[in-house]
Amino acid sequence: MTQAISVEGLAKTYNGTVKAVDGVSFAVDAGEAYGFLGPNGAGKTTTVSMLTALLAPTAGHAIVDGIDVFADPASIKRRIGLVFQESTSDSDLTGRENLQLAAALFGVPRREVAGRIDNLLEKLQIADAADRLTKTYSGGMRRRLELAVGIIHSPRVLFLDEPTLGLDPQGRAGFWRYVQELRKEHGMTVFVTTHYLDEADGICDRIAIIDHGHIVATGSPSELKDRLGGDVVTVRPALADQALAAQAALAHVPGVVSVTPQDGLLRVKCPRGEELVPRLVEACDKAGIGLAGVSLKRPSLDEVFLEFTGREFREDEGMTATDRAVRIGQVQQAWGRSRR
Amino acid sequence: MMRELSALTRRELLRLARNPQALVTALLLPILYLLLFGQAFNLGALASGPGGQAALILSIRGAPTYFSYFSAGMAGFVAVTATLFIGANVIFDRLFGVLKRTSATPATATSIFGSRLIAGSIQPIGLAFLVLGLSLLLGKLGLSGLQVTAALTPVGAVEILLAVVILSLMFASLFLAIGFTIEQPQSYFAVVNAINLPVLLTSAALYPWGTMPAWFRNVASFNPITLAVTVIRENLFAGATSFYPYGPAVYLLGLLGWAVAMIVLAILLARRALAPQK
Repeated sequence: MTQAISVEGLAKTYNGTVKAVDGVSFAVDAGEAYGFLGPNGAGKTTTVSMLTALLAPTAGHAIVDGIDVFADPASIKRRIGLVFQESTSDSDLTGRENLQLAAALFGVPRREVAGRIDNLLEKLQIADAADRLTKTYSGGMRRRLELAVGIIHSPRVLFLDEPTLGLDPQGRAGFWRYVQELRKEHGMTVFVTTHYLDEADGICDRIAIIDHGHIVATGSPSELKDRLGGDVVTVRPALADQALAAQAALAHVPGVVSVTPQDGLLRVKCPRGEELVPRLVEACDKAGIGLAGVSLKRPSLDEVFLEFTGREFREDEGMTATDRAVRIGQVQQAWGRSRR
Repeated sequence: MMRELSALTRRELLRLARNPQALVTALLLPILYLLLFGQAFNLGALASGPGGQAALILSIRGAPTYFSYFSAGMAGFVAVTATLFIGANVIFDRLFGVLKRTSATPATATSIFGSRLIAGSIQPIGLAFLVLGLSLLLGKLGLSGLQVTAALTPVGAVEILLAVVILSLMFASLFLAIGFTIEQPQSYFAVVNAINLPVLLTSAALYPWGTMPAWFRNVASFNPITLAVTVIRENLFAGATSFYPYGPAVYLLGLLGWAVAMIVLAILLARRALAPQK
């Protein structure tokens, strides 16, 4: 399969000391949705800025759509679309004027401009507000306009840099639905950075987990989850000093892949968690260890991130379980709708 | 190139049209000068008798009144007050992501700069003529006003227009150069204020030529505002003898030199600012 993006040893060091991106290498196939997943400061935006010729690298090579990014930045800019994490539309112009400006700058054939703009405004549901100044737009409308501006020239590769940052769950779900529809229509390659695990899970064909400027794991969401060895049962001993004894008792239960202590809990990896829970409880009981709680988690990218970086996902600390559940449900719903 | 230049210029003009407060602010200072300073600073009252009057006319290089001399100076000064916002707009566009968005398109740095230069120069051209018109009107209202004593020829009118256009281009380039270099609005306005008044006060926009010491005249002779207002004064005021050593074309050439230097400097700084960050 043709590669849309090929990156070799890409690095960016600021002020000679701060390594924002530390020699990453990866390849994205044409038509693929590829996710860069990591917490704030992991190097995601720096990578996108380099791949879109906005930032010069300290080292490395990058080919996007067959063009050397750093040798021919002008050609790259014609072929790619970019949606920034912050709003960049001109608030003194209307939505339509923003799109007209972008169309002229990207060299969209004049006879196609009006039709493309009307089509995008309609598809992204901002047609009614097309002739209003964008300073009057809601956050969701601004995001959809950003997407329209990013794809007005039908780019072959679309970069989305945390495009749903600040949107409510409904807004996020809607945004991804539009992206999936556009992918289906135009077959464009999508490179997306996000720190929302559920989004990466729902949207991306493959994911690279980036942390402190390094790629720590790559694979499809299901491959990454499979590497966890199945489900994760979390066991909480009633007494903290019994954690070691509990770890030993649980490790001997047939079917257990591994037992890892973490913050007073024991994370037990196993292929079929629901079948193993009674045996785990029984093993602890036999060893005279009281339990304060047992929970079963299906493999998620949260777990994947924890597995490969050794810590919880930092940005999600403030998010309630309800928020996350709502978001996951809506993203999956959107994903399902677009697939149908 | 032409398509992106015209699209970006249209954007700049729409933005200026939708923010008319910038126009009002640009006009405020020159109008205050005309209504207060120009009315109160009545040098004519000091020139008593035919001898005194002749000395005053010599001092203001053939203008019929000090106000007439001064109002031509204000038409030049408005090029400064009306262009300084164009550099601030670069900084705000950078802060609000608009410049980043434009940098992500194939638009060249020259087009991005050029569009701002064109849009930024149109406004002061209109305002300069508004200042001259207002000065004429003040005279009709019985106040000190502009008196035109020369028969304005088509060539003279073109020379005045060129002086205003080139002066506007020069200051728009200067402020764009600063805007592309400085990142914070407060720093920009501090630098602009440090330039604004010294440029005015080292020009011949306000002072009678005859009252300046020789060294000051040497400094003022090279000031771009002096060069532009000299072209305006030479064409608006005529006496039995010429009070200027050179014709308007020479001053226009000097002004053009300033403008070219500023445009080149601003393009270089804009290119540096819009290049991929190191």
